[in-house]
Amino acid sequence: MEENINNGVEEQESENHEPTSVPVLNTSIPSGEQTVWADVASLLDSACNDLQDGELIHGDNFNLFAAMSALEIMDPKMDSGIVCRYYSVDEAIEDGAAPIPLSLNKTVDVHCMIDIMDHMLSCEATWHKGHSLAQTIFSCIYLLRPDRTSSHALLHSYCTVIRSTCNAVISAVSDSRTHEEEDLFTITSGLPLKRDGDEKCLSMLNVIEETISRQLHACKAPSHKKRSIEDIEPLQTNLDLEEGYCKAVLCRLRFRKHFYHVLVCLRRPQGRGLELARKHIASCLVELDSILKTEEFLRANNRNGMWEDGMESEDSTTASGCQPIGFDSTLNSRLSAPTPPRAIKVFCWKKAVEYFQKLLHDLDIVCSHPIDPLHEGALRFVVEFQKLQPDLVARSHLQLLLVQDGKLFGRDPIFTMICKAAAVPELAKNNDIQKNESFVHLCQLAITLLKILCTNAAWQRRQLGKVLQDWRIIHMQLEIALRKEFEESSSTSLDENLCMKIYKNILNWVEEQTYWIAFRFLILGFELELYAPSEYCMVYWYIYVILIKLGEKMHLRMITNSETAKRKGKKKRESMKDVAREPAIPPAVLLLQCQIYLAEGLTLMISALRNEHGVFQCRGPFNSEQERFIQHFELLQKACIPDHVSYYTFRDYTAHSQLDTLIMCNYFKEAQRIAKELRGSFVNDKNKLTELRHIEQVAEHNVFRLLDTSTDDKEDIEMSLVIRHALFC
Amino acid sequence: MENTNEAVEGEGEGDACFEGKSDISQVKKLLFRRMLVGVSDGRFFMGAFYCMDKQGNIILQDAVEYRSTRRSSPSPMEQRGLGLILIPSSCRISCHVDCSIDEHLSLLSLQAQK
Repeated sequence: MEENINNGVEEQESENHEPTSVPVLNTSIPSGEQTVWADVASLLDSACNDLQDGELIHGDNFNLFAAMSALEIMDPKMDSGIVCRYYSVDEAIEDGAAPIPLSLNKTVDVHCMIDIMDHMLSCEATWHKGHSLAQTIFSCIYLLRPDRTSSHALLHSYCTVIRSTCNAVISAVSDSRTHEEEDLFTITSGLPLKRDGDEKCLSMLNVIEETISRQLHACKAPSHKKRSIEDIEPLQTNLDLEEGYCKAVLCRLRFRKHFYHVLVCLRRPQGRGLELARKHIASCLVELDSILKTEEFLRANNRNGMWEDGMESEDSTTASGCQPIGFDSTLNSRLSAPTPPRAIKVFCWKKAVEYFQKLLHDLDIVCSHPIDPLHEGALRFVVEFQKLQPDLVARSHLQLLLVQDGKLFGRDPIFTMICKAAAVPELAKNNDIQKNESFVHLCQLAITLLKILCTNAAWQRRQLGKVLQDWRIIHMQLEIALRKEFEESSSTSLDENLCMKIYKNILNWVEEQTYWIAFRFLILGFELELYAPSEYCMVYWYIYVILIKLGEKMHLRMITNSETAKRKGKKKRESMKDVAREPAIPPAVLLLQCQIYLAEGLTLMISALRNEHGVFQCRGPFNSEQERFIQHFELLQKACIPDHVSYYTFRDYTAHSQLDTLIMCNYFKEAQRIAKELRGSFVNDKNKLTELRHIEQVAEHNVFRLLDTSTDDKEDIEMSLVIRHALFC
Repeated sequence: MENTNEAVEGEGEGDACFEGKSDISQVKKLLFRRMLVGVSDGRFFMGAFYCMDKQGNIILQDAVEYRSTRRSSPSPMEQRGLGLILIPSSCRISCHVDCSIDEHLSLLSLQAQK
């Protein structure tokens, strides 16, 4: 019987498979004892013919739902094992898919090497953007067999620095744990990511760089001097192209060197490497420009002398437009299991260079942040930084810089930072207090908040919503602790008054943070486009009530702050004039007041339009307005942020708003007025000035809007509001 | 095992005009048996026959993937468990069922009749 089957195998090999022909059977897959593999293909075919449409052959325990979850073989999105070209890495190498040297012709060899470098850059950018390492950088066969490359110095050093860079990036991202939303990033199972000798990557790179810069120098030397340097072997054989190739290789090598330096410098403790990192960032950007400039030369000397067929130059992953040799993303696709990888498209080379330029600019901003131990400053910096929509790698580094060993910038204990922020007087004497369990917990919350703010918008919003409850609880715990302390105060050595003050200030600060988180949570909803126009009214109303609370707490803190300062000032006997010149309300609070006016004005205007023109209504068969209210603000409501606020408060507030009364008391004009006055207070703060300009613009638009309510075109009203409100964020 | 075969054949003889139907019931007898399916990229899947539809798509339970490490045979095989899989008929190029020698002979004779 076995013979029969074997014959079948041979027959199959000679002719193309047809359903009726005898199919292949692999003899190394054993059948059971005393049994054989019987061909049932034709039986199945005829049974299929007899089946009715939609009819299935199945057993008693069949479950259609379970069947739907079956992994579909040969579906590129589900089946990670599809054999495309090669069955294994070794087979690919034996087949010549990754030759060493890349070509016996030295010119072609160098050209191919540049293509590999370019494609690797495209792969790296694609990886940073959230695809798996296995499908991107490690689609390079040379990287999969690291020992093979040692005879090719240029290729070997390049592969080594790539591996080291990958390791540095992975460790930054996994240490900061910002990848939780992009979990593919750090999966490295089965990839040869570490190899002995990789720590020498920079010295290897330097040696190669040195050689090639000498070669460049030699070819540029005037002909009469050439004799003296003839002993330098050129990079490749075509002397007309020597300069171009040397330059193209050099800028690529130098980029790698500086980029690796950037990553290393960024990880120095307490931000000590930031200055040096900035220098390397600048060098990286210079090299990237040089890399871009080599495109023309490489295209002109394309190794095929023409564009690759079917490859648009726009889509090319290399500067020359050639397909790189030595890459096959299907070879290790099974490594990224359990999820079979989706087919991915590697970034084109131009986009990859753009990505790195953006990354480097973002990292430069991270480095330029002054290391000051102010909590508020750090929060504001992260929020401003996030507006640039930085990618994962930049956000990870920011987070690592901000929080090191549980300290801000690795220098200032979080507790000291909180005390400074909360204007707690004379901290040094009260070290006992920070051992209190609630304070330890509070410090953890403050660290978590900083970390959350470094994640992407969607993840950030979800996490902010979750921690609101924790902040509420810590507030309650501190209140209880305060009461206890107050009762026991006679037995402690601390000054009763002082202790009270510390607690009160910190309690106020905790509340301020809580409202700030809530405000950020609501604003992120706009960024993520979670609100429908019909929901703007309730969102602005909620923002309005939160901002009022935030303003109260902030004002209270600033008053306490200035009191402390004044007391110090008196001690120093400063002139009273300075105190008199101080504005009654600090600019930061006034800015908040502007936003309050805007939010209030928008709420009332939208609700007035609803009441009078019937626009912005919650229609549709699914959710009532109250249900939507709960869906959007459930987390805030659960944490009682703020107290005594519910859907009914909102309804009562907006039920009777009318456009006539709005014009009488114009919130937008007020906002505009304050914004104009405030300009002088923020002369040195660019971000604040842009914010003020936005506020003025929104206010002005809406003043105009209110005066011109004659239009009955509902869509027009909705549209113009939808466009303009966005400026509020 | 032989009993089932007789039953199948008996049914087939009984309903001579519904010869097609006998194929369906024949296939039904194969349910839950070990099935080995070869696909167009050279891999094999072995698992318990779970379901088949009119288009010839097959679902195997507790399937194992077999895959050569070289194109040139013979070469070592890699294998890995996949669980429940659906093999579309378009990529199926062979299909075998584990059965006794007697059963195999009767299947062959059935084919010969056609």
